[in-house]
Amino acid sequence: MIELIVRISSGIPGLDKLVGGGGGSFAENTVTLVYGPPKVGKSVFSYQFAFEGLRNNEPCLYISTDYGLKDIERNIANFGWNLDEYIENESFYFIDAISTIAGVEVESKPNYFLSSVHNPTDIMVKLGMAMRQIISKSPRFRSVLDSLTTLMAFNDEVLIVRVLTVYIMRIKESGGTAIVTYTEGSASSKVENMLKAIVDNIIHLDGENLTIEAMIGGGKVKGQYDITPKGIVVD
Amino acid sequence: MKKTYIPKLDDILGGGIIDNASVMFSAVPGVDYEAFGYQMLNGRLGEGDKGFIFTNVAEPETIIYEFRSYGWDLEKFLKDTQAFFVDGTSPFMGLPSDAKYSIEDYSQVEDVILEAIEDVPDGIGIINNLSTLIDYLGEDETINIIKKWNSHGKKYNASLIYLFTKWDYNHDLIQNLKKSMDCVVEIKTIEERVIIGQGFMVAHSSWSEPSDTMVLFFVVQPGGVKVYIPKILVTGPYNAGKSTFVKKISKKSVSVDRKALSAFPTTIALDIGHLEYKGFIADVFGTPGQERFDLLLDVLGRESVGAFIIVDSTAPQTFARAKEMIRKAKAEAIPKVLIANKQDLPGALSPEEIREKMKLGEDIPIIPAIVTEGKGVTDALEALLGLLYGD
Repeated sequence: MIELIVRISSGIPGLDKLVGGGGGSFAENTVTLVYGPPKVGKSVFSYQFAFEGLRNNEPCLYISTDYGLKDIERNIANFGWNLDEYIENESFYFIDAISTIAGVEVESKPNYFLSSVHNPTDIMVKLGMAMRQIISKSPRFRSVLDSLTTLMAFNDEVLIVRVLTVYIMRIKESGGTAIVTYTEGSASSKVENMLKAIVDNIIHLDGENLTIEAMIGGGKVKGQYDITPKGIVVD
Repeated sequence: MKKTYIPKLDDILGGGIIDNASVMFSAVPGVDYEAFGYQMLNGRLGEGDKGFIFTNVAEPETIIYEFRSYGWDLEKFLKDTQAFFVDGTSPFMGLPSDAKYSIEDYSQVEDVILEAIEDVPDGIGIINNLSTLIDYLGEDETINIIKKWNSHGKKYNASLIYLFTKWDYNHDLIQNLKKSMDCVVEIKTIEERVIIGQGFMVAHSSWSEPSDTMVLFFVVQPGGVKVYIPKILVTGPYNAGKSTFVKKISKKSVSVDRKALSAFPTTIALDIGHLEYKGFIADVFGTPGQERFDLLLDVLGRESVGAFIIVDSTAPQTFARAKEMIRKAKAEAIPKVLIANKQDLPGALSPEEIREKMKLGEDIPIIPAIVTEGKGVTDALEALLGLLYGD
């Protein structure tokens, strides 16, 4: 069979093989929902996805609702990956939607945008500003939105579904591939179903098993995983 | 009538908004439009009016900081109790609020805002953000509440300004919202894969018949909402004074010059300038006059929204070349102003003589100028802006 879908590497050892898509996991220009209970590695998954892109000269637009830039740098460094170089050469773009809430003073950089979890309108404005810069540099890029759960804690759930719809539209129009994370059970089942309906791919993590519940051009598959000192590894 | 303090908007609305108007700024997600509300408030406070901001998107401290970044001092007005906050954010984040009013539960919002309106007779209230309100209160209830607020605003002669982000709401809701307002300003994007520009347009006004032109804008810090002209072309025959014109019209300019052997400089690539004038911002591109650079004319002309054509009024033998340059820049299709330069030199032709010689229609303004002295530069700019914005 000829593989017609261009797939990009997830950065997660074993996952690309599990998908069986010949060298990659996610179809390019799609959006993947990564969800599961708390503390099963959703953010780690995001770091690996983002870092894999950076290593391959794909810029990354990272929207963080839980950690400021320093925290993300440290979290990523724990796995032995160094974000500094990519912040420095402006291929890592960061929208910090939490530091204003925490009252942290942050120095301004061209690839660093301050926003607020409370103000989705502003998050979309910053997204637009960052994307204008990114696509002038590269026709393809990756984006991470980590996490929807925090946005829902600060806003009405339905509004966040609307926000996600716009996010997905903007990312796809401009040639990006994205993952969004969500903590299982933190919204009503109706909203959870809406989330699943508007993304392309769905990956469930439960601490032991990684289940691909939906994947463009692929079927439902399951594999065991561990969070190792080198990140998530799928057996 | 009250001014909006948004450049160009007053003209479109026939002088401003009626005193007790309800106005909705309705923006597609991704457009930077909060400044519209803040700029109106700041202008009105400056006039001595009272005003308030209802916020459910940022704590008052953050909004004060935003005002500061635009160069506006909200704190002064807060201290003088000329302005106050209705804080619908801090309590939801578990933060203390020292605002005049704070909302701990959305069931309070209707009455609290009614009270706030009574506190600002003849003044202005900013509601940021209407979308968030809808998602908490539901569509029908929000419409009902807005109607009550607006009629209260009428009673107390206060303007109410709503900021609305148009997420994917259903058509009926949007129509009902519009019907509840005296005026709706749509804020749109110009997109080419990503948002490359933004513009506003008056969709409806109960007191005037606004034109349907879209005004491009930028939000800058400091400054706020500024009308934006993407690119303006400056062209004309060799030695007509283009580089000097770009320098005179610009706040900042760069000239890519090379000293010729005879040691007088001429532009061999481009003059690039940036102008800011009465809230208008533009990038200005001056092309070299020599024929070997005509390729540039085509490229720049295609991207420009307006052009200045400069001629040496003492050199009628170059007028044919000027007309050729207009054609090559495809400037027939964009608004343009002709600048009759070097009016101080002996033998300079008058604008009317030039119009006749060049066979230009009356629709093209011809501005007499002495560019080296800066004379006529502002007139030329006013003339072009007039053409671009239909003044």
